[in-house]
Amino acid sequence: MINKIVIITFLTLSLNAKEAEPKKYIYANHCMPCHKHLPYSLEKIYMLYLKTFSGELTFKASLKAFLKSPMEETSVMPDEWIENFSVKEKTDLTDEELDEAIDTYWKLYDVREKLH
Amino acid sequence: MSVSKNKGTNLLRSSEKSSLRRFLALYFSLVVMILSLLGTFYYQSKEKLMYSNQRTILSDYAHEQIQQLRRLHRDFPQKSTYPRSSEFRSAIYDIERSKIFSTLHSQNVNFDKSFYHKNGMLTSVTYLDDYYLGTKYLFIEVDEDANWYSNVMMEIFSLGGIILVVLGIFGLFFVNLFLRPMKNSIMLLDDFIKDTTHELNTPISAILANVEMMNTEIMGEKNRKKLSRINIAAKTVSHLYQDLTYLTLDHNRKSNDEWIDLKKLIEDRVEYFAILAGSKKVTFTLDLNYSTIFIDGIKIARVIDNLISNAIKYNKRGGTIHVTLRKDHFIVKDSGIGIETEKVNDIFERYSRFNSSEGGFGIGLNIVKSIIEEYSLKIEVSSTLGEGTVIRVDFLKGTVDDK
Repeated sequence: MINKIVIITFLTLSLNAKEAEPKKYIYANHCMPCHKHLPYSLEKIYMLYLKTFSGELTFKASLKAFLKSPMEETSVMPDEWIENFSVKEKTDLTDEELDEAIDTYWKLYDVREKLH
Repeated sequence: MSVSKNKGTNLLRSSEKSSLRRFLALYFSLVVMILSLLGTFYYQSKEKLMYSNQRTILSDYAHEQIQQLRRLHRDFPQKSTYPRSSEFRSAIYDIERSKIFSTLHSQNVNFDKSFYHKNGMLTSVTYLDDYYLGTKYLFIEVDEDANWYSNVMMEIFSLGGIILVVLGIFGLFFVNLFLRPMKNSIMLLDDFIKDTTHELNTPISAILANVEMMNTEIMGEKNRKKLSRINIAAKTVSHLYQDLTYLTLDHNRKSNDEWIDLKKLIEDRVEYFAILAGSKKVTFTLDLNYSTIFIDGIKIARVIDNLISNAIKYNKRGGTIHVTLRKDHFIVKDSGIGIETEKVNDIFERYSRFNSSEGGFGIGLNIVKSIIEEYSLKIEVSSTLGEGTVIRVDFLKGTVDDK
């Protein structure tokens, strides 16, 4: 009985903690931690995506589709990368969270803001 | 008969001059039209060539810019300065046609044309396969060569001008060539009239003198009528002779201007033509006030004779001629066949006649016109076909006696 109470309490706290996570940290908490250990920076991947998909809407839609269902065929990463690191696992973020994370990612490296 | 140049005779009648002018106008219009067409084709081909050259240059610029974008994409964001050139301006747009960066002067770009010119600027659009910095559309813009237009127009107008002058000279040459037979015919006619005139004087004078001297009282009615006809015929020939003499000889002589009593002169001339008018049962009505004019007597007599003679000649049988004289004008009005409105302006042309069924050379009104012009008088003709003709001659102030 005590175990059940502990589990329910833990799950409730976990859900509350998840709901309380600010949207702007979704990208920082769910993307950056893994990628910072990889040889390809998120910025480089951004430029790769940009070179492949060009426009903001296409970029975001393609990235979201890949994150929800990662496949070798739909990855923009080089073959060597795939051979060494394979493709990532399917994301556990909701659609809304994914959109927030991708928006943050787009804004962070948006070339329009940096070109002069 | 030799064809000699009669200096006193204007070889080209105004209708011929008008035809000549019309021909030249038509010829030059055609030449200008053809030259304009050729000029347009030339301009278009030059424009096409210029755009083709510019397109090649813009394509080179685009290639150069793509290489710069490729390098920038590779080095981004360590290097983030958009590549610029002094020779062209450029802009990059993504696949969603959203602007990434632009140095263009044009605010609006056209994605649907690979090359276009607008507001004095040429723009090319290049579609990229690798979207460096997200670039799908690369616009390259340069200013149009401002001197190109003026240089081409200068070429067209100078070349067109030279061709126009050369063709104009050819045109005049051909016109003269075509008119030569007509001129020769007119000169032949003038010379013929001049030669025959000399031969008419003596016999006409003899006929008229003898007719005047004949005693009609002792003649029978039949003979009197025959004599009257001889008189009319002789006066008609005499009138013609005087016109021809005036035309070929007299009009070159110096004018002997004097004060002429017009009332008396008109009465004399009406009396002179009375027998001729009587033969057509034409009656005169005179409404004459006293008026004098400073003019050559022979010349004003030619004017009055010709107007009265025509009024009789082209009158209906049993018609009337009304002559009005006022201080500054006189009017001859007949009840004749009239003239078609469009032919009124041609009646003063030499060798033109109202009606080919009537005799004469068609020189009378031409003489009237030359005298009217010599003395700067004013003549007005109004006519209604089938009703008659009214000719009014106005005298200039100073030529009439204002006392």
